[in-house]
Amino acid sequence: MSDVPPGVAVAYRDVSFAYPSPDRADRRPALEHVSLDVRVGERLGVLGPNGGGKSTLLKLTLGLLDGHSGTISIFGMSPDEARRARVVGYVPQRVEAELAFPLTARQVAEMGAGLGVSAWRGLPRDRREAVGEAMAAVGAEGFADRPIGRLSGGQLQRVMIARALACRPRLLLLDEPTVGIDVAGQQQFAELLTRLHERMALTVMVVSHDLRTVAAGCDRVACLSRTLHSHTDPRGLTPAVLAEVFRHDVAAIFGDVHVDAHAAAGCSDPRHSGEVTRSEER
Amino acid sequence: MHTFTYLTDPLYRDLYWPAVLTGLALAGLCSMLSVLVVLKRLAFIGQGVSHAAFGGVGVAAMLGLVGTGTAAAAGGQFGIVLAFCVGAALLIGWLSERGGTEADTAIGIVLVGSMGLGAILLHHARSTQSWESFLFGAIINVGWIDAAIAGGVAVVVLGVLVALRRPLVFWAFDRAVARSLGVNDRAMNLLVMVLLAVTTVTAMKLAGVVLATALLVLPGAIALRLSGRTGAVLGWAGIAALAGVVGGLVLSFELDWPTGPAIVCVLAGLFGVVKGWEGVRGAMGMLRGGRAG
Repeated sequence: MSDVPPGVAVAYRDVSFAYPSPDRADRRPALEHVSLDVRVGERLGVLGPNGGGKSTLLKLTLGLLDGHSGTISIFGMSPDEARRARVVGYVPQRVEAELAFPLTARQVAEMGAGLGVSAWRGLPRDRREAVGEAMAAVGAEGFADRPIGRLSGGQLQRVMIARALACRPRLLLLDEPTVGIDVAGQQQFAELLTRLHERMALTVMVVSHDLRTVAAGCDRVACLSRTLHSHTDPRGLTPAVLAEVFRHDVAAIFGDVHVDAHAAAGCSDPRHSGEVTRSEER
Repeated sequence: MHTFTYLTDPLYRDLYWPAVLTGLALAGLCSMLSVLVVLKRLAFIGQGVSHAAFGGVGVAAMLGLVGTGTAAAAGGQFGIVLAFCVGAALLIGWLSERGGTEADTAIGIVLVGSMGLGAILLHHARSTQSWESFLFGAIINVGWIDAAIAGGVAVVVLGVLVALRRPLVFWAFDRAVARSLGVNDRAMNLLVMVLLAVTTVTAMKLAGVVLATALLVLPGAIALRLSGRTGAVLGWAGIAALAGVVGGLVLSFELDWPTGPAIVCVLAGLFGVVKGWEGVRGAMGMLRGGRAG
């Protein structure tokens, strides 16, 4: 991609996608003309309602979906190339893994580092060290040998993050990481993300429908509801922007999380200027 | 004691030793694969694939490859039945993923369709081998070439499982994340279907079309009740599979039971014992807790 500025980790250019449907007349786009830059080393939150295209954007980034228009570049590679190069670590929503498997937490974390290693040998030392570092970084050493099915929700999430980190990715994608976790756990997650970001110099994308999750741990927030409505500092998310994204007055729900209820475009405070990008209706 | 006589008397060597060796190969083969089948809930697909083998047997019978006892015929029958089973597995996958049919419905359709086709073809082929032996297995149908095929299949399948254990376990545990790291989803799906089909066809002569899946389900189900650690689960699955095969063969020799049902009875009995022991332990735990309170 020739139009990707330097210092950009992930670049989306005019990305549109619709899921296949037997009834072509009923085909509704999941994403429409999304253009967005994720800077190297930044923590970006992708906020939006259910069905707004957040997970679709994430799956396109991972190369799990085909058939989109526009381009996606990850450190200068296509999603397929990035997948093969293993530069992206992915933490899905927890329910997708088979927790009945007779595996310990450490064995699950080692999965991320074990691909590409010959079956006839153990994990090489550098990969074992990567797994150890990842487990230590998320604070999972205390339950490393516990069966995966006996971990709490928060512990399981830490192990999944450790697995994603074990292959030493440059980009970490987290899909709804705080679903099913209590308020204390959400706070711990935000602190963990900050520590990981600082310690491992990662670029992070967090997809969530919860403003608390993205506001607590992200440098910028992209508001996505099929189209990109806003891309700004979390403090610049006005009630009007949130209402536009969620099609509902949600500022009262997010209440004390939202700091300043004023129009960011008209604000002279340099902390709130950020980048405000609104997609144009086509 | 018939077992001792059948295994030591040179008069019976060619009749019973192939079945014993085939059974041992199957025990080794199914021990690892059955854990995957149970964890990934593939038991019903396995049943569909094994019933599809009956259609393949019908085709092989029409081609004159059944009941001749020659090595070429045994190999030909194996190949045709295997192709039929792999085709059935792929058809089930296509119907459920792209054909707009629920997975269990697709399995049911393929299962009954193959059984019906096999029954019609066997009726026309007028094979000398009894239908009961196809459906439930028979020691007398297992020859040296079948034992050699079983041994070869066991080595190949176990080798593939070991060689691909890391991407396969990752894919089986967490498909989406494995795909995101470059594991080929379609290839893994096809691999599992082919392994299921190969194992089912190998088990068919000894356990029969109807009961071949038992070897792919019960050892894993027993093992997972006994442990939550990978190594221990695989070990217990191997012990359970061996106990089922050896116990079933001994019952066949001593009581003249059909082999497939005999193996299944031993395995089902073992599962019952393990479940019963879990119940006893649970009750004892509650009693101790009640006394302490």
